[in-house]
Amino acid sequence: MVNVLTPETQERAAHGPPSAGAAVDGRGRTRQRRRQAVVAYLFLVPTLLFYAVFLILPLGFALLLSMSRWAGFDLGDIDPVGLDNFAGLFADGSTFLAPILTNTLLFALGTVALALSGSVVVATCIDKLRFQGLWRTLYFLPIVTTVVAVGNVWKYMYEPGGLVNGVLNALGLGSVAFLQDPDTALPAVVVVQAWASVGSAILILTAGLKSIPESYYEAAALDGAGPVTVFWKITLPLLRPSLLFVCVTQFLTGLQSFALIIVMTKGGPGDATNVAALEMYRQAFSYGDWGTASAAAFALFVVVLAATLAQLWMFRRKGEDA
Amino acid sequence: MTRRRFPWFSYLLVVTGAVLTVVPFLDMLMTSFKGPGESGTLPYRFLPEAFDLSNYRAAIDQLDLPVLFRNSVVATGVITGSVLLTSSLAGYALAKLRFPGRKFIFRLVLSTMMFPPFLFFVPHFLILVHWPLAGGNDLFGRGGAGLTVSIVALAMPFLVSSFGIFLMRQFMVSIPDEVLEAARIDGAGEFAVWWRIVVPQTKPVLVTLGLLTFVDAWNEYIWALLVSTANPDVMTLPVGIQLLQDYVDPTRTLPIVMAGLVLSILPVLTLFLLLQKYYIRGVMLSGLK
Repeated sequence: MVNVLTPETQERAAHGPPSAGAAVDGRGRTRQRRRQAVVAYLFLVPTLLFYAVFLILPLGFALLLSMSRWAGFDLGDIDPVGLDNFAGLFADGSTFLAPILTNTLLFALGTVALALSGSVVVATCIDKLRFQGLWRTLYFLPIVTTVVAVGNVWKYMYEPGGLVNGVLNALGLGSVAFLQDPDTALPAVVVVQAWASVGSAILILTAGLKSIPESYYEAAALDGAGPVTVFWKITLPLLRPSLLFVCVTQFLTGLQSFALIIVMTKGGPGDATNVAALEMYRQAFSYGDWGTASAAAFALFVVVLAATLAQLWMFRRKGEDA
Repeated sequence: MTRRRFPWFSYLLVVTGAVLTVVPFLDMLMTSFKGPGESGTLPYRFLPEAFDLSNYRAAIDQLDLPVLFRNSVVATGVITGSVLLTSSLAGYALAKLRFPGRKFIFRLVLSTMMFPPFLFFVPHFLILVHWPLAGGNDLFGRGGAGLTVSIVALAMPFLVSSFGIFLMRQFMVSIPDEVLEAARIDGAGEFAVWWRIVVPQTKPVLVTLGLLTFVDAWNEYIWALLVSTANPDVMTLPVGIQLLQDYVDPTRTLPIVMAGLVLSILPVLTLFLLLQKYYIRGVMLSGLK
């Protein structure tokens, strides 16, 4: 999902100035207007067709499926069952609420906490160094790397004969079966997701840091404030808008991600790393239960929507933009 | 900031973080050179005994890498081309043309960004499978495999990007109307105005959007996995490599998988390093990934 809260968005939204037709009068003008409308729709036809087939139709279809039972073959066999699929998700003994939705929230929150604290520290430090571009490039590498590469490398690193356990053994500690132990599997994938998203957070925070006036730091230096005091009393409070932005977008991404989990654990062991989007995927493509899958998708959508609205509300209330 | 002393502590933190970021990549590279019995065994060794290139040969043969590569290139190329074209056309119409419904369509574009991608995997897949009169289907979408038989299935759900339209529109709004008006008075049609004036003026944004789209499309995994399950002929690089990882003895194939991964991330990595400036601006514009 893309965040649409860039500064120019709202002011320019939907009421740009009229452009053509000013120089021509009378009938010529209406003719030009009409021609321009035709051209505009010609330019928009591919997009509107796409929206019809790949946006509106699928949403309607998914909504229908979420309230039906269907084996997946003949469209005529779709059997409406009302809200049964949703009721099934939240029924006693269903794993959807716990552990799946709890895992989803833990995954998103854990990623935010790790990536945010890591990126704040690194971004603040990079700001004091030379070759800032080089550092940012290095931290950015995971972002342009396919999830299949990231997931497999880390999966191997977590193995008993992998790098992480190699380091633990070298330190005299025992090996940990990170991805096989239900207690460590979720934290282990959270670390990878955070590792992969720190780079973009650093980028946003660096931009935020650059916008803090130098005079604040000079004043603090005159007052004899140490670097730690400066960080807590000046940098962090003034970085708040960027922090909030990173926090919210990272959280929304975390709620929806499941590709990394498919690659690393497939949701296992048991349901230890199963998240809502993965459950939707499994219900559909492993069990062919299209109804339950669609219901799970909409249930997660409600959570994402609530988080999005909370975000809009926070930004509006504080009058802050990204 | 305080630049009086050499910032030892900052260097320490940043270098540690950078090492943590780069080490998994190096581990992937080193493992790709390891011989049989050298990976996944105790004790862990970072460096291979010899820099053996045979895993790369094996990856190319066992993975059918040229085919995977071709599929990835076709899907990525179609998606990037289509996103650039449709975003530029629609962005121009929304920014500079006057027509009834403009406000409504712009709102529509913005509101589509509210719907997260995971909502669409199931219905998109079913729509492609039941596409009428394709892949052996009848008029009601029954009986065949639908559009999944075609390589375009990989690209179809990504052909238009609402973010791209929005981005192009925001940049086109700032092109002065006088310039466009002058061209119109000189007799240029709207298509010529778009192609000769608007497109050249928005080249840097097009590069940014193209790069973002290219990287996303190249790295896309879930949708390609779904389509490849229905039709293995259109398997892309990430899907093929993951398949090898999942179904063949991991201790023996791990170095081959790593070699395949190294080859598969090279194109994007090179592109990113060359055009970093544009990519980074794109990430700033689109928020986080």
